Amino acid sequence: MPPRASHPVDASMGALPGAAAEPVRAAVTFALAIYLFGLALCVIGNTSSGASLLVRTIKGKIFTPFLAPAWLDLGFDYPFTYGLPEDADHVLEVAPFGDPAARLRFPGDMAGERARRWRRLARAITETGGDPDRTARVAADVGAAMFEAFGPDVRLRVLRRARADVGGVDPGRLDEAFAARVREIDGDVQLIRDEPAGAVAPVVVPRRDPAGWTEPRP
Amino acid sequence: MSGPADRAPAPDDRGLGAVWMRFWFEPTDPRPLALVRILVGLLGLALLWSWQADLGRWCGPEGLVTPASAAAWVSRGDGAWLAVVDAALGPRGVWAIAVASFAALVVGAGGTVVAVTAACSLSLLLHRAPMLAGPADDCLVILTWCTAVAPATRALSLDRVLAGRGRVASAVIAPPAPSWRARLATGLLQVHASVIALAAATAQLKGDAWWDGTAAWWLAARAESRVVDLTSAYAGSTYLMNLVTHAIPAFEAAFAVGLWASAVRPAIARLGLVAWPAVGVLVGEPFWGLAMAVFAVPFTGLAWGAAASPSHPVTRRAGAA
Repeated sequence: MPPRASHPVDASMGALPGAAAEPVRAAVTFALAIYLFGLALCVIGNTSSGASLLVRTIKGKIFTPFLAPAWLDLGFDYPFTYGLPEDADHVLEVAPFGDPAARLRFPGDMAGERARRWRRLARAITETGGDPDRTARVAADVGAAMFEAFGPDVRLRVLRRARADVGGVDPGRLDEAFAARVREIDGDVQLIRDEPAGAVAPVVVPRRDPAGWTEPRP
Repeated sequence: MSGPADRAPAPDDRGLGAVWMRFWFEPTDPRPLALVRILVGLLGLALLWSWQADLGRWCGPEGLVTPASAAAWVSRGDGAWLAVVDAALGPRGVWAIAVASFAALVVGAGGTVVAVTAACSLSLLLHRAPMLAGPADDCLVILTWCTAVAPATRALSLDRVLAGRGRVASAVIAPPAPSWRARLATGLLQVHASVIALAAATAQLKGDAWWDGTAAWWLAARAESRVVDLTSAYAGSTYLMNLVTHAIPAFEAAFAVGLWASAVRPAIARLGLVAWPAVGVLVGEPFWGLAMAVFAVPFTGLAWGAAASPSHPVTRRAGAA
């Protein structure tokens, strides 16, 4: 028995060869409406667009559970560069603690997509994404994976290649973006991060004109 | 979504419901999606090859990326399913299944089951080391799921040759029956291509470098990840640097919008076949550029012979071509 077509368009479409039955169209329409709503929330909620907490919460509670396993919980947030130092190429460096000469660097002389994956891993160690514990976890795991090669005490660094200014020459320098000591103590992995110089150096504010407002007040 | 009809519209033919029904369900030619399937298979194999040498180092038992740090990196529900798969197959097993599935997509064997397997295995692999995934991986997953929706092995496929009892010529030449699943998959490709292009453009326009014309320089100045070294050209011509910088988001926005205008859709899609790979090279993500070009394939209207559904703008233009 042919499917009942209650709408003129449904009727004409149902007569076409290869057309879906009306119940199938209804079910797929329902699924599409849900999916497209979820897609919109993912794009809004996964980007740094300043989406409201409400959008992220709705997306996280309702759509993430079925979109994330299929790798569909994506924001497609691809700026590629903002011209910032953190957009430069990243290098992962691991060495036995106290023996920097024995260091290994990744991606080294690798090329193509393989090298890009190593750079993403290196960059992941420097990106907190609002959660410093996440970065520390990745760094500790990377360091611990090197215990077999270097022993249970390694130094892990992420280096950024310094960029040439617009129209300038490549300085050929690597700047340190992350550094930590990773060691194993009684079966536990410890990550001891180097304090950035800015965190320990005193902030010096030069004394200006006494009439000005920059002089530190008691 | 729909262009001017070849026939007089029925009384309710222009309502939102009718447009929705035509856009998602009007049976159409599955051959463009067969080409998409082949390209997705090749792209998948190329991207999976980049995992091959370091898979054990990244995801092995003593690997750099543990399941715990992977779980902390990306949301995935409770993640219990991944632990089960990881224990049963291991990363190498998942990778091998993904390679076999994408190879089967290239030759067109196994139908929908193989496409679903390819999408699932690729998703599992990316979940195992999410911080290694890039834009090309994201787009490949979308393309693979769309291929799974389509009846993509009904043309240009081993399945079709076998179904035709070995008559290779007829399998290649004869147009397959139109299918509503082909239209559904084409619609999903259209939506996702537009969303991805627009999201990329808006992400770029949030940064000053894309407004002041220097983004092309910062991309080219990445000595290790750049594909071609254009720093000399940019240093010699600020106009060129500004032009390239502004052309990238402009093209992305034009592509996102143009896919919805039937008058320019084939032209913008054909431009996309060339422009997306070029953009991929310029931004240092060549596989992302190739993936975006694959999104454009069904909308080019190139060389598909008899249209399966003359009323639809895509197939009507294909027939005209």
